Amino acid sequence: MSAALHVDNVSIAFGGLKAVSDFSLTLREGTLHGLIGPNGAGKTTVFNLLTGVYQADHGTISLGSQRMNGLKPNQIARAGMVRTFQNIRLFGDLTVLDNVRIACWSRTTTNTLAALFRTPAHMAEEAAIAERARELLDIFDLLPREREQAKNLPYGAQRRLEIARALAMDPKVLLLDEPAAGMNPQEKIALRGLIRKVREQFGLSVLLIEHDMGLVMDICERITVLDHGEVIADGEPSAVQRNPKVIEAYLGAPNEED
Amino acid sequence: MTTLVQTLIDGVALGSLYALIALGYTMVYGILRFINFAHSDIFMLGAWFSCTIAGLLGWAVGTPPTWAFIVVLLAAMAACGLLGFIIERLAYRPLRSAPRINVLITAIGVSLFLENFGQLPKIFGNTPTKMPALIPDIALGSFAGVRLSLVNLIVIVVAVVLMGALEWLIYGTKLGRAMRAVSYDTKTAALMGIDVDRVISITFVVGSALAAAAGFLQAAKIVAVQQPAHVSWVQLGLKAFVAAVIGGIGNVRGAMIGGVLLGLVEMLGGAYLSSELRVVYVFTMLILVLLLKPEGLLGKTTVEKV
Amino acid sequence: MATLAERAKSLRPSASKMALDSVGPVVLAIGLTLLLHFVVGPAVGHSGTKILLDMGINIVLAVSLNMVNGFTGQFSIGHAGFMAIGGYTAGIVTYYGGYKLFGTTNPTGGFLGAGQWLFALSCIAGAVTSGFFGYLVGLPSLRLKGDYLALVTLGFGEIVCVLLTQSGAVVPASGIDAVPAWQLPYHVGGAVGFSPLPFYTNLFWVYLFVCITVLFAYRLKESNHGRALLSIREDEIAAEASGIAVTPIKVRAFAFSAAFAGVAGGLYFHLLGALPKPGELGFQKSFEIIIMVVLGGMGSVSGTILAAIVLTILPEVLREFSDYRMVVYALALVLMMLVRPQGLFGIREIWELGRERRKKARGSR
Repeated sequence: MSAALHVDNVSIAFGGLKAVSDFSLTLREGTLHGLIGPNGAGKTTVFNLLTGVYQADHGTISLGSQRMNGLKPNQIARAGMVRTFQNIRLFGDLTVLDNVRIACWSRTTTNTLAALFRTPAHMAEEAAIAERARELLDIFDLLPREREQAKNLPYGAQRRLEIARALAMDPKVLLLDEPAAGMNPQEKIALRGLIRKVREQFGLSVLLIEHDMGLVMDICERITVLDHGEVIADGEPSAVQRNPKVIEAYLGAPNEED
Repeated sequence: MTTLVQTLIDGVALGSLYALIALGYTMVYGILRFINFAHSDIFMLGAWFSCTIAGLLGWAVGTPPTWAFIVVLLAAMAACGLLGFIIERLAYRPLRSAPRINVLITAIGVSLFLENFGQLPKIFGNTPTKMPALIPDIALGSFAGVRLSLVNLIVIVVAVVLMGALEWLIYGTKLGRAMRAVSYDTKTAALMGIDVDRVISITFVVGSALAAAAGFLQAAKIVAVQQPAHVSWVQLGLKAFVAAVIGGIGNVRGAMIGGVLLGLVEMLGGAYLSSELRVVYVFTMLILVLLLKPEGLLGKTTVEKV
Repeated sequence: MATLAERAKSLRPSASKMALDSVGPVVLAIGLTLLLHFVVGPAVGHSGTKILLDMGINIVLAVSLNMVNGFTGQFSIGHAGFMAIGGYTAGIVTYYGGYKLFGTTNPTGGFLGAGQWLFALSCIAGAVTSGFFGYLVGLPSLRLKGDYLALVTLGFGEIVCVLLTQSGAVVPASGIDAVPAWQLPYHVGGAVGFSPLPFYTNLFWVYLFVCITVLFAYRLKESNHGRALLSIREDEIAAEASGIAVTPIKVRAFAFSAAFAGVAGGLYFHLLGALPKPGELGFQKSFEIIIMVVLGGMGSVSGTILAAIVLTILPEVLREFSDYRMVVYALALVLMMLVRPQGLFGIREIWELGRERRKKARGSR
């Protein structure tokens, strides 16, 4: 199996503090890969590095065969690696439909002049964007609320909308930053099915940050564990679960009790 | 050589005024993270209050006593301090958690209000006025053509005294520590038991009082006081803000340095290039600083959290 | 899922949809313009026409500022500076260019005559020049946000005013031949202003440009380009993560906005009774435009138009209170931020608001 995303020895320091050091990860084509670790381990920093919000001090990031180092966030998104945010960043004043339509921007071809004159090509493209956005909303059960302002959606729906928006960019790799945070148990179960479903339907490779271990162990085929900015374990869920280093990172060193 | 020394003296005097105004901008920015556009109008009102108070006390005619200027200065500072308190309370406090752009618009609104309200016929009117001569226009000394006037000396001395007092307030008192804590992290400061609202109020009072002092000094210096909505007030205020940015916004010492630096640049440019283009030098300097070193000379960079 | 291009092929608009959505509004706009010029103008007389002209220019200014302050969420307070650049450029074209072409600096030709076409061309020249400066001013927006950017735009506006004050006196028609052509753009009147310009501005041209501005703004907002601007206003980081090339788009918004302000400048400078002095085009003027945008709703095209109309008529009606005009505006601005910070209509258009209210009423029943 080929790698959808290959990260090799990536590091970043903020004013002398090493936030992530020598982080390596291979996301295989079509897998659901979990990235876990205690609070402050550097998981979101990894996402920020991958999506170009931060530039790595050294190390390489490749999406398929394409180098991502030095690219801007929008170029990386265009290249096929898109993300959601831990603290939900929707376009709150805009409608649910607009949130998804905006993400189609990078795939459009008609220019501003065409928009002014409303040329047939422009109108066809607008119609195509709307159609596609509605299909995505339908998958995420958001179609009935397409005209509502995104900020007025309930929390779980906002998380789903963020994923729908990400998918509108035709990604190859989807990075989900704590998609289940703040969801109730029913919503979490639904989300599980949804993540699996979109992976099949869109042929995605997914990298997932999540604190809910039940969810991670259930849906991920592979897991990387991060602690203090370093990878301490990498492998199948069952192997990772038994790894003493992982247990130590989560529960503290065992010798403290002796 | 003579011109150069004279220009340097004038530049420092002008720069001291900028520094006094810049302090108010920088303190408010340090805590609330917005440009208090109305600050230049507090400065303007400082000048107008000074005129009015001096007139009411009967010092517009004849020779006022030597200590008259101190009375007027303190009275104008008190009046503007109170005004700053009221403005913060009514206009800015309700917007504490609002988006910054809303606060900015409010500040512009307050600024326009002060200018145009002050210009109403029943308030100050829309014509310039003359500042009573509280400080006699005499030269303290002339050395090889360089003139050090009493006014310039008083401007520099008052500015230095007030800045020293502020320095002491911020770095030497418990209140100052609270102000620094609030500017560093408002939420944590509140958790530590600091009354944030009170600290912000005091910041506005202090900043406004300093601007009023600058207003008084400006009026004493150039004697003619422009109408409240005149372009020159806002321009002066903006230059002072530029000084704050150059020094590093939010940084009190930076504001002082930036003010003097800007005064020098403006005066040197005026003396050796063209005096008509002073605004242009200032804003060119602003744009350069913002593009090359946006955090200013003494400021620190901030990173937005994702 | 099919790609956008594949989908678009099967979604070509029908002829009736094209007529309704694309061509219809343009025809309507031209009709409205002619109606205003030939029917409404003569009916309301000279003073009414003057108000209508001011109103149109204010609409162009407010709607164009809305592209930056409303759509894109950047805060420009130097809009009058762009207006000045456009106005002076247009003035140079009609005054000196007019002399070179027609041998006189007075208006030439009747309705849609040669002089008027030169005037239209001059407004476009103003738009191009101003748009270029808008592009330059937009460049710092790559690094600066919020009030810092506001300050740069303000500084820009002031620099424009100061520099224009330094320009040379207008060369009278009799002396133009004696001055080398390349020096003429320097002679635009200095502090006393650029006059006597030929008064070409009439209802037809003003409202033609109003229609172009409004159609442009509205269609931009309703297209994916406009939504990209709105996304920057909402959350720049999320916009960037959604594949939006934030930087070039922001700069482009500045350029468009400045270009339309330049047109407004051209129209204003050729208006009888206007005072094209540099001092009249400082930040007081910029603030007046901001007030229209803020009251109408940042992001709402129709809301801004409404605000521009009201704020043009109101001072005319309440002439005896003219001293209080700016005081009231300022208070309105502060109160608006306290009570309804998004402006009257927020990001929505007037008709959308009605729809929402109906929907809410239905939901609560």
